[in-house]
Amino acid sequence: MSKVFHLSIIIATLTIIPMVSLAFAAETAGEYLDRKAEIWNLFFRMMTVAFVVGGVIAGTMVWQVWRFRESNPKAKPTPYEEKGEL
Amino acid sequence: MGHSNWPEWIYVAVVVALLCYVGAEAWNIENLVEHVPEDAEVIKVTGQQWFWSFEHEDGTKEIGELHLKKDHAYKFEITSKDVNHNFNIHEYVVLLDAVPGQINTVWFSPNEAGEFDIQCREYCGLIHYNMRALLIVEDV
Repeated sequence: MSKVFHLSIIIATLTIIPMVSLAFAAETAGEYLDRKAEIWNLFFRMMTVAFVVGGVIAGTMVWQVWRFRESNPKAKPTPYEEKGEL
Repeated sequence: MGHSNWPEWIYVAVVVALLCYVGAEAWNIENLVEHVPEDAEVIKVTGQQWFWSFEHEDGTKEIGELHLKKDHAYKFEITSKDVNHNFNIHEYVVLLDAVPGQINTVWFSPNEAGEFDIQCREYCGLIHYNMRALLIVEDV
């Protein structure tokens, strides 16, 4: 089953992506555009996504460290600590 | 110990959604940027140690200088005679390898008249640093 799955993934990759590319390429000729603006705008959008993701991850880590510190009044001992195993 | 894992699934969904967005955006822009207009003039660009030469559609040849018209589309067919070079017009975000025995294409449309630098961006030997040319965009 696993082999069939992997094989189908490979075939899908080898056929679907080129087919989609061909479908796009088959369109009529392209229009004039400001290459510089398109590329830089894409870059800034990607940077926005990257910084948002970075901020969320960093924020989550800070929150975890703050929330689960030993001195937090809400902290509960883990089951292991309760049993005195650690 | 049983526990709720819905936050994990939300996390996974957000990551998948972001990846889809990033991929789709990049795909879309790449298609737009690579889509050559029908009336684009083909210019053959040849890199060799250590200068650039250009050939227009009408057979006009230029060395170290390239004269183009503002608001026209140009498709560069880039190749090299010796080693790998890289054709770069910094101001217009044109950047493509010049490889011997291979023709790479890129198109652009200058929307500003003036003089712009063309330079090699792949280390190609002793005088790589000075492998430059001048792009002159004329307001016709």
